[in-house]
Amino acid sequence: MEPPRSSGVGIDNSGEYSPEIAETLRFEEEIQSLIHPSSFDGSAAPTGGGSFTALLGLPANQAVELLHDSGAREPLASRIRVGEHPVHRPFHLPLDCSSAFPSNATLVDRAARFSVFAAEGSPASSSGRLKAEPQDSDSPPLDPIPTGPAKRKDTGRSKCDVRLSLSFKSQAKVTAKKSKNAEENTDGDKLPYVHVRARRGQATDNHSLAERARREKINARMKLLQELVPGCSKITGTALVLDEIINHVQTLQRQVEFLSMRLAAVNPRIDFSSLDSYLSAECGPVTVRNGPGGVVVDPSLWPTDATAEATRRLLVPQFWHIDLVPPQLQPQQSLTTWERDGAAHSQLLPNPTTSLFLYDPANSGDTNVPHRTAKLKTAEDRALNL
Amino acid sequence: MQLTSSFKLVFLKQMLRGFLLSDASSNSMSFHERKNAIKLSADAAIAFARGRTRWSQGLITNLSKNEKNKEILKSLLGREYDNLRKPCGNSLKIPRSKKILRRCLRMCSRRKKAGRAQHICKSILAKALAKKRIQVLKKLVPGGESMDGFSLLDETLDYAMSLKAQVDVMRRLLKTSKASLNIK
Repeated sequence: MEPPRSSGVGIDNSGEYSPEIAETLRFEEEIQSLIHPSSFDGSAAPTGGGSFTALLGLPANQAVELLHDSGAREPLASRIRVGEHPVHRPFHLPLDCSSAFPSNATLVDRAARFSVFAAEGSPASSSGRLKAEPQDSDSPPLDPIPTGPAKRKDTGRSKCDVRLSLSFKSQAKVTAKKSKNAEENTDGDKLPYVHVRARRGQATDNHSLAERARREKINARMKLLQELVPGCSKITGTALVLDEIINHVQTLQRQVEFLSMRLAAVNPRIDFSSLDSYLSAECGPVTVRNGPGGVVVDPSLWPTDATAEATRRLLVPQFWHIDLVPPQLQPQQSLTTWERDGAAHSQLLPNPTTSLFLYDPANSGDTNVPHRTAKLKTAEDRALNL
Repeated sequence: MQLTSSFKLVFLKQMLRGFLLSDASSNSMSFHERKNAIKLSADAAIAFARGRTRWSQGLITNLSKNEKNKEILKSLLGREYDNLRKPCGNSLKIPRSKKILRRCLRMCSRRKKAGRAQHICKSILAKALAKKRIQVLKKLVPGGESMDGFSLLDETLDYAMSLKAQVDVMRRLLKTSKASLNIK
């Protein structure tokens, strides 16, 4: 399921600087072009194109400084100088590499804040979900804030995450499942590879990088699952969420077993042979009903009713053979009128279903029918008044 | 997203066809046999309705291990039977790169040599817990053994949604059939 990584993904960036220089140059130019329109806007909100500096909300030169931080420190100065000559930059690039850049905490805070911004503004909730994830992964590196070289690594990591969130916005339509993969691939449009920094104490070889990417993928999917399983969104921690998921799946499976048992108990008295004709053209009855009336009722209007109707249809033959007691004639009349008319409003369509459910209260006094929707209730009232 | 009415209708139709085929409504079978027949039809129907996913293929494979069910499945699913039945080869061994494995082993041995007890606690413990649960999940989801971590989570998601739809439709069927019996 893993898509092929672009050759430039930073797994094998062990010491090759020439492509890196070229790419950072290209990236710089792109940044320039992005900076100019965004500087006119003056807005900190991320645009659709994903202006990098707008994302950070930092002044342009500091952002570029961060970028230059990505490579090794030594060729940095040379790179900047090289890069500056071909294109005339209106603003002043920081040539002084050793200038103090903002402290870790503030920078990461900013990145986090803007990732939250982007989460609010992004159209796809999935990218919003995943947005929180680089934010989450930001917090662990905050805890050990060591001095010196590790400081750079932290900013590098936050930058990496910011870059991740950058591509999120530009790829708002990508589904959550694929977004992590796509984002690594589309990063190749702006960058040839993701500048991933190793945390302190971790090896920088390909294996741990791959492992970390793997972990992020898994976290993305866990978020999706958390949303599916009810009551799972508040739980933190992989193991507990997995517990809930397992619980849920087991419950559902047991429900299926139980229901099939109950169906087996009910079953022999139901004649299923007649339903084939009804269900052979499952869309057929819908159109037949709507034909004379000319009303095209979209089945998606009543998603819950469609299956109820299908099941009801199979029981219709049994209705006609049954001698109904007069108090129940009323619902039967509604049935017959429905059959005769052929043209039903969308509100009357669930009527037979409700009359079906009305039998329960009439006979067994069971008033709790779990799948009564609001629409059914109103139709039921109408049936009673008929 | 996938719990549309058409999906449920397809499922229902297949399930009822399965009931007919497996002769579930006759009185000749015992209660247990009937229940198994119903369950078989329901599972086959949900796998059919879902289309080709890993779990549906695994489900059909598991169901057809029983020889008796094979015939029913074949007639029920028709063409789809061959499509759904293990086209992935069902390899239990996930192809793993030797290089990565070797490096992993090296790192593990390195970690053991270092022997830092505190570091072992958090991450390795969490990993072990998660691993245990993933193993349980693999047993739950049909065809789960041959999947790796990511696809397992994907398939779990899919499977859980289909199960929900299945439960929903079966419950309605039960309700309406009970109601019809109450009329009688």
